[in-house]
Amino acid sequence: MIRFDAFGKRYGRQRAVSRVDLAVTRGEVVALLGPNGSGKSTCLKAAAGLVRPSDGRVEIGEPLRSAALPEARRGVSFLPQKVAFPEALTGREVVEFYRRLRGAARGRTEAALGLAALEGAADRPVGTYSGGMVQRLGLAVVALADAPILLLDEPTSSLDRAGLAAAHALADRGRSEGRAVLFSTHQLADVERLADRVAVLVDGALVGNLDRAELAERLARRGVLRLRVARAPAALPAELERLAPGAELHGEEIVVIGPAAVRAAALEAVRASGAELRGLSSEEGRLDLLYDELVGAAGRSGTEVRA
Amino acid sequence: MSAPTRLAALSLVARQEIALAVRSRWTAIFAGVFALLAVGVAASGYVLSGGSGFEDFARTSVSLVQLVVLVVPLAALVMGVLAVAPERGTAELLFSQPIGRGVVLLGQLAGLFVALSAAELIGFGAAGLVVFLNAGEEGAGAYFLLVLGAVLLTAVFLAIAALVGAGAVGRKRTRALALALVVWFAATVLVDVAALGVATLLRSTAASRLLVASVVVNPASAIRVGSLLAVQGTAAFGAASLALLRLTGGPVGAALLLCASVLAWIVLPIAAAVYRLRRIDL
Repeated sequence: MIRFDAFGKRYGRQRAVSRVDLAVTRGEVVALLGPNGSGKSTCLKAAAGLVRPSDGRVEIGEPLRSAALPEARRGVSFLPQKVAFPEALTGREVVEFYRRLRGAARGRTEAALGLAALEGAADRPVGTYSGGMVQRLGLAVVALADAPILLLDEPTSSLDRAGLAAAHALADRGRSEGRAVLFSTHQLADVERLADRVAVLVDGALVGNLDRAELAERLARRGVLRLRVARAPAALPAELERLAPGAELHGEEIVVIGPAAVRAAALEAVRASGAELRGLSSEEGRLDLLYDELVGAAGRSGTEVRA
Repeated sequence: MSAPTRLAALSLVARQEIALAVRSRWTAIFAGVFALLAVGVAASGYVLSGGSGFEDFARTSVSLVQLVVLVVPLAALVMGVLAVAPERGTAELLFSQPIGRGVVLLGQLAGLFVALSAAELIGFGAAGLVVFLNAGEEGAGAYFLLVLGAVLLTAVFLAIAALVGAGAVGRKRTRALALALVVWFAATVLVDVAALGVATLLRSTAASRLLVASVVVNPASAIRVGSLLAVQGTAAFGAASLALLRLTGGPVGAALLLCASVLAWIVLPIAAAVYRLRRIDL
């Protein structure tokens, strides 16, 4: 559906993206994560036919065709990062213009405005819209065509709750209707809520490409158990070290980082030791910490980080 | 409902451009300026010679040629660049649609051409009505030819605006506007003045060729000379225009050469703009 094949892009001497290999299939929602300037927008624009590859290929659709071809773009809806519209036109006129350009059915205009929660403002000039409303109008335009490929460049930035709901509904509907959805974001909540796969870009290189199971497994491995104990026997630290290597003891507090099974074994060992358990908290690994780890490791080694 | 054909897509873009131009206060100002200029020139034409009353269409047309050659290119260049090089977010959304970039550009130019030409027709039409009521219909044909010249100037300078703006789609819009102003100054003032200045340093034959080249190569001069030729024959010609007549063997040859120049100044910049636009990364 969307395939980046050794895709690279240079702007003059500046390399924006290096040899990215990534595929998004039907019914899959993929999040592109990465720091500012990591090449997320360049990848999305290449798939939308706005940027020509310097190296490799970017193909879309079924059968796969170069994204630069207008015929191939018939199957694509793209939301730019800072979408803008002529201020003198009303929201309805904007949506109607794009509806006719895409050859979508008449009723789609109202449906798209409804999805973006803009029915009440549809007849106002865009110049009177707030930034969030303009972003929502962009979502309405993207929702018009029922395109099999959705490309969304930071779709939830500057959105209120209604806008967020619209963006999430668009991605959810895309998944359920078998579309390929590729979106970039800095909002990890969007990733947790929407993504089936996470691709992490750092300095133009793909440093991580994890599906939901891999992500869950890596997050589980980074779960944290905190225990507060009193009257711990002298043998407990050695037993914990055997069951949960790397477990830390700071006075009365024991911190165990690892998968759920390791944490459970550590808890059982504490109980079995006869120590008095005074407090307990356990949490799964956090996506932001995993992301920082991936970005940080890539920055240190300059190579791809794998699970 | 199926996707629109190229022609239908071009028509859609053109209609949106017309709608935007109609709502732009600059288009209304443009029409108003033409009406005021035409009425002002017609009403004050006899003042310098101590007389009073309205000039007829023919005299008004000759007086207006220089103003038209100054004002129309400026409006076409500025509005053309603004339309062809919209904000980045607008351009990215528009060019990600399943239509070619050339179709978008041609649609924008067609819409703007219709809107600006309509503004000229309304402005000159309103002024023409005032002249007709005060001075009669004599020379109305010349006035019509002047309006035709203004429409041709609009087409030429929209084409040049496309070339200037195509390189600035989604970025460097201010730089493109500045370049458009430089082009306007060069076409309406600098080329003529420079050609006349250099011609005074040359021998007769070389000077004539240079002056002719300055008229043929510069679209503003070509249309000014063409308009004067159409409105009043050779009576109002200057040195460059007379040299052109000598070189081409008379008014017919001169008119053909000027038409070819104007046509080239419409077609070539648009072709170059489409070529440039297709190769731009947004």
